[in-house]
Parts: sequence; C-alpha cells; structure tokens
Amino acid sequence: MNGPLLGGRGATSIATAQRSGTDGGAAWLPGSLVWRVAVLSVVVVFIQISVVSEIPVFGVSVDLTPLLVAFIGLLCGSTLGAVAGFCVGLLVDLALMQTLGVTSLTFTIIGYWAGRLRELRDPQAALTPLFVGAVAASAAMVGYSVIEFLLGVDAPVSLELLREIVVGVLLDTVVALPMWALVRRCLVGALPDDPRRRRRRAYTTGGLSPLSQGRGGAR
Amino acid sequence: MYEKTVRRRRAVLALLVVLSLILLTAYFGEAPSGGLHSVQRGFLTVVSPIQDGANKALKPVRDLFGWFGSTLKAKSQNAELRKQLDKLRSQYTANQENEHSYRELVKLFHLDHELSIADYNPVTATVVYQSPNIWYSIITIDRGSSSGVRVNDPVIADEALVGKVTEVVPDAAQVSLITDSAVEVTAKISATGAVGLVQPQVGEPGRLLMQIYQSSTAAPVQGDYVVTSGTVASPGVSLYPKGIPIGQVTSVNEQGGFKSVAVSPLADLRSLEFVQVLTYSSGSRAASLNNVAATLTPTHQPDREEESQGQGGQLAQTGGGG
Repeated sequence: MNGPLLGGRGATSIATAQRSGTDGGAAWLPGSLVWRVAVLSVVVVFIQISVVSEIPVFGVSVDLTPLLVAFIGLLCGSTLGAVAGFCVGLLVDLALMQTLGVTSLTFTIIGYWAGRLRELRDPQAALTPLFVGAVAASAAMVGYSVIEFLLGVDAPVSLELLREIVVGVLLDTVVALPMWALVRRCLVGALPDDPRRRRRRAYTTGGLSPLSQGRGGAR
Repeated sequence: MYEKTVRRRRAVLALLVVLSLILLTAYFGEAPSGGLHSVQRGFLTVVSPIQDGANKALKPVRDLFGWFGSTLKAKSQNAELRKQLDKLRSQYTANQENEHSYRELVKLFHLDHELSIADYNPVTATVVYQSPNIWYSIITIDRGSSSGVRVNDPVIADEALVGKVTEVVPDAAQVSLITDSAVEVTAKISATGAVGLVQPQVGEPGRLLMQIYQSSTAAPVQGDYVVTSGTVASPGVSLYPKGIPIGQVTSVNEQGGFKSVAVSPLADLRSLEFVQVLTYSSGSRAASLNNVAATLTPTHQPDREEESQGQGGQLAQTGGGG
C-alpha cells in the first residue's frame, strides 16, 4: 500500500530510485514535472507577495515560500529541491528588491535538506509535513538573521525579534498541512510512477515477483 | 552509476551555493547604480503591471481576511479609544484657545509662510508588494517616475510619515519604511520642541528610537507626539515637510546626559494599502528647498555634522521661507 504521506503515485519513487542507484537527480525528471514546479513556484510567490504578506496575524505574516521549497524537495528529491529553492529565492529577492542571493542561499539549503530527508529516511507519517514545514520556516528565518548579521546589520537578538521568529514559525507550521496538500495535488500527477505499484501490477499480470524484481533492480 | 549520481547531486548543490554567494557578494559590494541593481529595477519594471493586476484581482481575498483581523482588533481597541476620547476632548478645547492665540501671533510677526503638505503634490498610490521578511521594511507602490515620483520623496499614510522613496521606475517605486535601517528622519518632540534623529530601534522590528540632540530641553513623557522637524542633518536624507506626525513616545532613556526615546510609529506599517507620495514640481518652493538641502549636506561632512548636531540639525528648513 502507498504510505499516508503521499497517498498516491510516486509515494516512494525517490527513495526507491535512490536505493537502486538512480537518485532523485534531474537527469530522469519528466519535463512536465519541471514545468509544474516552475509554474507553481511563480504563482505561489506572486500570491505570497500580493495577498499573504499583507495579512498580518499577531503582527507577523505567513511566509509560504520556504514551505513551498521544502515540499518540492520532499516530493521531488534533493536536486530538484535545491534548484527550485535557488530559483524561488532569486524570484523573491528580485521581486522584493532585497539583497540578491540571501534568500536563494537559504532556500537552496532548505530544498536540498528536504529532498535528502525523503531520499534517506522516506518518512511516511501523516504529520511529516508539519515537521518539515516547521524546520523549513525556522531555517529560513534563522538563515536570514545569520546572513544579515554576517552582512553587518548590527542587531542584537532581542525579545521582540525572537517573538516574531517564534510566531512566524508557528504560523507557518499551521499552514504547512494545507500547503502540503496543495503542492502534492499540483505535482503528484507528474511524479514518476510508484515503483511498488509497478511491481505489484507486473506480478499480478504474470510478470516477475516483487522479490525477484527487487533482486534484479538492486545494484 | 550510484557514485556518479551522488557526485552530480553534490556538484549541483555546490554550484547553487557558490552562485548564491557570488550574487550576494556582488550585490552587497556594488553601488546602487550597478548592474545587479539595474537588473532588479528592470525586473520590477516588467512585473509591476502584473503585480498591479494580481493585487487588484486578489483584493477581495485580502479584504476578507483583513475584515476578520480588523474586527478583532477594533473590538479590543474600542474601550481603550473611548477612554482616550474623553481625555482628548478636554485637551482639544484648551488647544483651540491656544491655537487661536498662536495664529494671531504668527500673523503679527509675519511667520505664516511655512510649507505644508498641501504645498507638495501628494500622489496617491496603491501598495502592491510588502516584504514578508522582518529584515526588510520595504513596500512597492504602483506609481513611479511617470507620475512625478522621485527618489527621496517623503511618503505618508493616514497623515503620518511612513517612509521615503528609494527606487523609481516608470510605473512603480520602492519605498523604504521608517523602520528600515536605511532611513533616518530629523524630528522633534511636539510638546517640548527637542530635536533629534529618528532611526529604527536595533533588534526591535517595527520600533523607532529618537536620539535627542539637546540635553537641556524638558524631558519628554510617554504619549508625546514626535513630528518631522522640517530639517536635514546628514547627507542623503530626505527633506521631509515640517510637522508630519511620525509616532508617539513609549519610553524615555537617559545615558551620560543624552536622552533617547522609544517611538511607536503612528501608521500601521504592517498593513498599508494606500499611501501618498509628496512630490514637488520644478520651480516650486519645495523643489528649491530640496535643492538647497541636496547641495548643502554632502560637502564638508564631518564639520557639517558637528555643526548640525550642535544646532539641532537646522541646515535647511522647510519652514520660515528656507
């Protein structure tokens, strides 16, 4: 059965591909998946900037962009996660007239980390998106802060700043599940077929058993 | 095969990280007229019509969420505002009397030719972008150089100062809010007349700090209003018209004989929807005063700064005929 995390096609494609030596690299990624990721990224960035950022909750706005990058990594693997993170970060920096490279650097690492989590651990728990969303939001905010400090903004850590970071992370965690559902719905149709499903189909239609195919597919 | 894939994956990560670092270093090191800044302005020029369209199309959604937030906020503020209203009503009566006397005296001594907001050409603009990042206090508006907006033009909302224009393209402009580290405003406390420089409070996003130049003035108290002084004290700052409210004093600190006050901005900087850019036409008094300010400040900077601090920053003034 497919795990509750993906709930559809592509449930363990990345993890299985990793084990069989093909990895979640960009070489075998279908073009439709790349297009969907690109369109989704542009739409989410525009919605974030035009709507979401103008709705403060407890004085802080929800930031959907780190969640988007983390969930792309979680679904598509580390390479596409990192590339999507870089592109989304660059788009955000360009659109908001921010220092170019700050968001790109942070989001590249977030996308890569989420992809590696998928490839190495293949988490199946239903609450995994919450955990990933919280970590991504924390990493984005702490990442901004660290880079700003390194760039010379003389800002000691204050209670107000910590409060904003904590509230921001909590808000992002709250919206992580709906955001995960949206990203999954948009991308799951273009993800490579679930190898377990393919094995099961082959076995029931007279093909190789999962055991023999597993041996054959192993490195 | 596996080794090759791992190498490729790591190479992609390394390439992206290095690329980000190169971008960051180059952007941070270059002048505002540099190549990367130009690319950013070009991008803003291209996407500003799209931003504007998206902003208008998605306004109902934003309004819906805003309505819930505003209702909750309004309920909590209602009781407090009623108390304030009672207190202010009595103050208003007393102030009316004082104002009448003041106007008589101003006329008597021929001092009634100060510039006001009406002397500038306020251009109303819609906020199309607002940075969600607490490190960047910037907004993007849908009016640019084609509407007469220029760099350093003051920006107000709800009659209170919100910032100044820092980048302009034909159909859009970027506004740095008063809470941005790039913005500083020469201001005074309306009750005591103490002049100082208002800057963002370090480490306290959304808060301001006013360093008071004159230590001899009466101590400000909590609730005093801070307004623009109509002067410039250092190079590159805007010449804001005199008397625009900035915020209210929330606390007073004194260290080594120098006073500083924490200021809470009057405008709600987190949910700006419309703003007004105070532009000026060539040949107007406002334009000539800005030119005077621009030509005075960059020369002999160290001496000028000392002098300006000693005199409460009275280098160029938007009041008293400049």
